[in-house]
Amino acid sequence: MSESTFMGVERSKIDWSPRIDYAKCNDCLECDKFCPHQVFAVRENETPKLIVKNPDHCVVFCRACSKTCGPDAITFPDKKETTAHIKEVRKEEESND
Amino acid sequence: MTRSFAVLPCNGLDKSAGCIAREVALQICEAGESELICPVFYRLAEAKYTKLAEEKSLLVIDGCATRCASKLAAEKGLKISEKINISEEAKANGLALSDGLRLSAAEVEFARQLAERIGQETKTAQQAVTEEKLKFPAELHFQTYAKDKFLFKIPDNAGFYFNENDVWAYVSGKKARIGVTDFVQHSLSDIIYFTPPVVGSEVEQFEETGNIESGKAVFEIISPVSGVITAVNETLIDTPELINQSPYEKGWILEMTLTAFSDDRDLLHEFAGYYPVLKRKVDEFHV
Repeated sequence: MSESTFMGVERSKIDWSPRIDYAKCNDCLECDKFCPHQVFAVRENETPKLIVKNPDHCVVFCRACSKTCGPDAITFPDKKETTAHIKEVRKEEESND
Repeated sequence: MTRSFAVLPCNGLDKSAGCIAREVALQICEAGESELICPVFYRLAEAKYTKLAEEKSLLVIDGCATRCASKLAAEKGLKISEKINISEEAKANGLALSDGLRLSAAEVEFARQLAERIGQETKTAQQAVTEEKLKFPAELHFQTYAKDKFLFKIPDNAGFYFNENDVWAYVSGKKARIGVTDFVQHSLSDIIYFTPPVVGSEVEQFEETGNIESGKAVFEIISPVSGVITAVNETLIDTPELINQSPYEKGWILEMTLTAFSDDRDLLHEFAGYYPVLKRKVDEFHV
């Protein structure tokens, strides 16, 4: 299980998770070993071997798995856009209350 | 005068960043009194390097984000005095690293410049660019949450704000002090290295502002507030374990002058909002 909200916003409404550049990924799986939230999944005998299985388990604004990536194959969405989106959703929800 | 280190580099046979790490290590050792620790031999037979590692300051040269050399230092319980990461240095210098294991002319020159810089650099305290001093409470009052053998402390003093990335800010007027919560230090366990942000730089809310590192992982310090960094806690460079011992007091990370606090506040919790978030995290993730 992972957190279901971030700052009161339903996690599924926030697009924040790692993007894997498969041209660079070398299947070292350091990101999966590092991430305690089961964001990634490893599929033996399948291509690609590593996938982002649970994007909503990713901690919003955390980019730590990309720091473990030797070939620099992991990127994240734009922080500013994400922040603006979260504020917008909160505003909408407040006005609906 | 050239500085003297025990130099622990990446092994350097997986990709070009590692080869550059190896080259930088050789050049630093050839230029002065520094001595090399072979990572492969050290892993198998550490006795050969025990004395060296005790006598000299340790310089760790990682090739890439896998940080094999840093992890080896942590595994052996070594205290890292300084470290560099070749991939990050290359990125900062706009150098695209090649795919092969033989160094290009540009990479050789890059290694030479890096070795020269490290050999001569002197650790100088960054100048605080502030006149006004932050008024931090003389005494903090904590509430706790216990789970198994771990006790998580959170200050409930007025003025403390938290983001859901487990970083706190104590705000007083236009100034803020920032640090990581007890949850972070428990989760990372022994913190062995602190990479400070640059004093004078401007950060936005939720941007990385330095990082801390244990044998387990690197933790990005995600700023709860926007502002201009006016000071970093220099004592953490030599004693990062203060973050474990005192995450809200002696282990503070940085201070800044706030630039958008009224906006930033929308996405921050005070104690009452953060406490249930912390409890949930501890219950779900802490092992």
